[in-house]
Amino acid sequence: MTTAQHPGSHASADDPRVTLDEQIGVFEPIPPYPPRTEREAEFYTLGDGEMFINIGPQHPSTHGVLRVVLKIRGEQVVDLDPVLGYLHRGVEKLCENADYHQAICYTDPLEYVSSLFMEWAPVIAFEKLLDVQVPRRAEYIRVLTGELNRVMSHIMFVGWMALDLGGLTPILWGFIERDEIVEMLAGVTGQRMLFNYYRIGGVNGDLNHDFMSRLGRWMSHATSQLEAELALLNENEIFVRRMRGLGVVDSETALRMCLSGPNLRATGVPFDVRRAHPYSVYPELDFDVVTRAEGDCLARYLLRMDEIRQSIRIIDQCLHEMPDGPVIAKLPRLLRPRPGRAYAAVEGPRGQYATYAISDGTDQPFRMRIHDPSFVNLQTVGLVMPGNLVADTMAVMASLDPIMGGVDK
Amino acid sequence: MTAAVGRTWSRLTLAGRAVFIGVPILVALLVPLVLVITLFGGTIVDVLAANLPIVRFAVAATAVLLMSVPTAFVIIYMEMKVIALMNLRLGPDRVGPWGTLLSVVHGLKVLVKEDFTPTGVDSTVFTWAPVVVYLASVMSLLVIPFAPGLFGQDLNLGLLYFFAIGGLSVVGLLMAGWSSFNKYSLLGGLRSAAQVVSYEIPLTLSVVGLILLAGTMSLNQIVLMQSGSFLDWNVFRQPLGALIFFIAATAEANRTPFDLTEADSEIVAGFATEYSGMRFGFFFFAEYVNVFIISALTVTLFFGGWTAPFDWPWPVHAAIDPGSLGIGLLIALAVVPVIGTLVLAAPFWIARSSMPWWQAIVIGFVLFNLLVIVAVAGWAFISLDWVAGLFWFLAKTYGFVFTFVWMRGTLPRVRIDQLMAFAWKWLLPASLLNLFVTAAAIVVVGR
Repeated sequence: MTTAQHPGSHASADDPRVTLDEQIGVFEPIPPYPPRTEREAEFYTLGDGEMFINIGPQHPSTHGVLRVVLKIRGEQVVDLDPVLGYLHRGVEKLCENADYHQAICYTDPLEYVSSLFMEWAPVIAFEKLLDVQVPRRAEYIRVLTGELNRVMSHIMFVGWMALDLGGLTPILWGFIERDEIVEMLAGVTGQRMLFNYYRIGGVNGDLNHDFMSRLGRWMSHATSQLEAELALLNENEIFVRRMRGLGVVDSETALRMCLSGPNLRATGVPFDVRRAHPYSVYPELDFDVVTRAEGDCLARYLLRMDEIRQSIRIIDQCLHEMPDGPVIAKLPRLLRPRPGRAYAAVEGPRGQYATYAISDGTDQPFRMRIHDPSFVNLQTVGLVMPGNLVADTMAVMASLDPIMGGVDK
Repeated sequence: MTAAVGRTWSRLTLAGRAVFIGVPILVALLVPLVLVITLFGGTIVDVLAANLPIVRFAVAATAVLLMSVPTAFVIIYMEMKVIALMNLRLGPDRVGPWGTLLSVVHGLKVLVKEDFTPTGVDSTVFTWAPVVVYLASVMSLLVIPFAPGLFGQDLNLGLLYFFAIGGLSVVGLLMAGWSSFNKYSLLGGLRSAAQVVSYEIPLTLSVVGLILLAGTMSLNQIVLMQSGSFLDWNVFRQPLGALIFFIAATAEANRTPFDLTEADSEIVAGFATEYSGMRFGFFFFAEYVNVFIISALTVTLFFGGWTAPFDWPWPVHAAIDPGSLGIGLLIALAVVPVIGTLVLAAPFWIARSSMPWWQAIVIGFVLFNLLVIVAVAGWAFISLDWVAGLFWFLAKTYGFVFTFVWMRGTLPRVRIDQLMAFAWKWLLPASLLNLFVTAAAIVVVGR
């Protein structure tokens, strides 16, 4: 590169004083460091006619800050490499430096779409450590609000899914319905997104009139509104054709990859934590564990829609059978559980949310391990994507429904 | 001396400065113009008259270029508002009445934004790509008959010209995709090449049947062939052809569900990823002008063009010749606005005592103007052929523009392999079948 020397000026291709005689644009090798593993060396060796395309971390449709490096031949994906960690906040370590009440506030924002489930699992684990009996009314309230949160999350899933396939309308229709639920939960919890409502021994505050009146209004039209919204997609030939047979995961692979939740049930395995390892008052409630055999994107989508209907059933039963009584057990302000370890799992909209907590007798957890289903589910992308097209990457990722807050923790 | 000028200059207001700068420039421009006209006026007129086709072409091209921008504005506003209402949103409602000026503001925005050229692009190709795309779409407008007598050029190969110029836009998209030095752009450019080239074939074949029926490629002749009631429209003679044409034209204009070239959830913005400022604006305008063009062409070919969908049930002839009124016309022009304003203002002033008189006058003036506009438009619609033609043409065209916007609000995007399979496996055989059936019918039945 020969430049007319101007002290302090940077050489730029736009600068007319600069003549560039080497190829511009090849800035640095990919990756900018020697490959660290065999897999990395293999991935970053380009074959004939292949190129890399970088999707994320700032990309319209990666649901947060996921970065995926695609190796493509034409439009076809040959291989891909998800790069994680852009949203890592060290929540598990933070929890070790907080007392038991404060730890729940840290786990909450991991799952910013359905945050109640990220509270529920640690709360149950801490209750096991402390050996607390939760009042029955509190259990019913937890189930009621949890199922509302599940409906809300699945509605958002529909919108994102359609948006990634190029449909503009469903996400905005979904937001209207979601907003009704969000306002409802804000009326009882005080927050719109990160509710922080479940407490050790119960919930923070009883249901109020505002919540009940909004819930009643929503229940009266929830099913019809939902069916109208889904008709836009379910009967759309383009949508169904793009989703059917895409990203198929069979049940053996799903079990081997430790999938859970709707992604597992869409492959035909009837595993639901609410039935398999019952917690709270779920044994007393009547609902079906919906499964589908196909294991493709369409099955995952339709299964979630069936789950919304089941959730509405559960909410209806909760409203009928909810007993009176206190909503939180009497506990001291500073909790010092006996030394020991406890594990708790709940069934969230994305799968099995679990917490494994170790107590050493002080007022802070000695170790807290958080299991997030988004992280596990996201691994499947690497299995099912090779051979599909670039456009399908978005569809498959959307159908697995990861939340990057939970993936990176 | 200089100091005195400087002092005076600094005391002037902004308007004063504008006058002091503007008036000399205006004089400097006008004086030579007047001189040229007085000295060589006759010669110029003779030369222009001798080259009338060229003059006509230049005027038409200028008019079409000027027309394309407001057309794009209207369609952009329509798309924002209609999709917003479909999404149960409000849409633009701040700038201007019902937000109608928002698209103008969009246009100003792209004008004042930085026109950025990234490092590594092939800057010549990068600069010319939007020009090619924009020209390709605007020049297609030249052959479209808007109304009887209102068209750029009545080429006898009008349809062929349209396809030729329309096919040019893919060159621009490919240039943009290739020169941008961005993999998203490259994918978008190559997708557009594959898509537009594939859909050109069914698009062209779908109208061959129509050309056989009409016996001409002149768009004017095709419109005249459909005059009469809506039963004479070509869509009833060529239903399959119309359907194929509509689908292929949607793909040709890169509209949803075939908007793979700028699929925002996959390849960010496709070929336009690296563009900003007015260069992006050209792509943006070209896209919306394309929507107008394919709607206009669908209307011209299959839905009767500027002909009315039904005969006017009662014959109305408003044979008013303003010139015959003589001096009465001048008096009417002087008196009627004042009286009309006062008459329309009176009810407001009487009914609301809190309203100052000048507000009532303003309201009356606006109402009077609206009334006059409605009256003049009605008179023009009845007595001028081209006004009625333009009305029906634009009404039908914007009906189709609405359909495109509606599709964008409803449908997801197809995948690239589905797109290609649809073109080659379904549209191409169907258009060949259409051509075959039409040709056979002409041989058996006669035209």
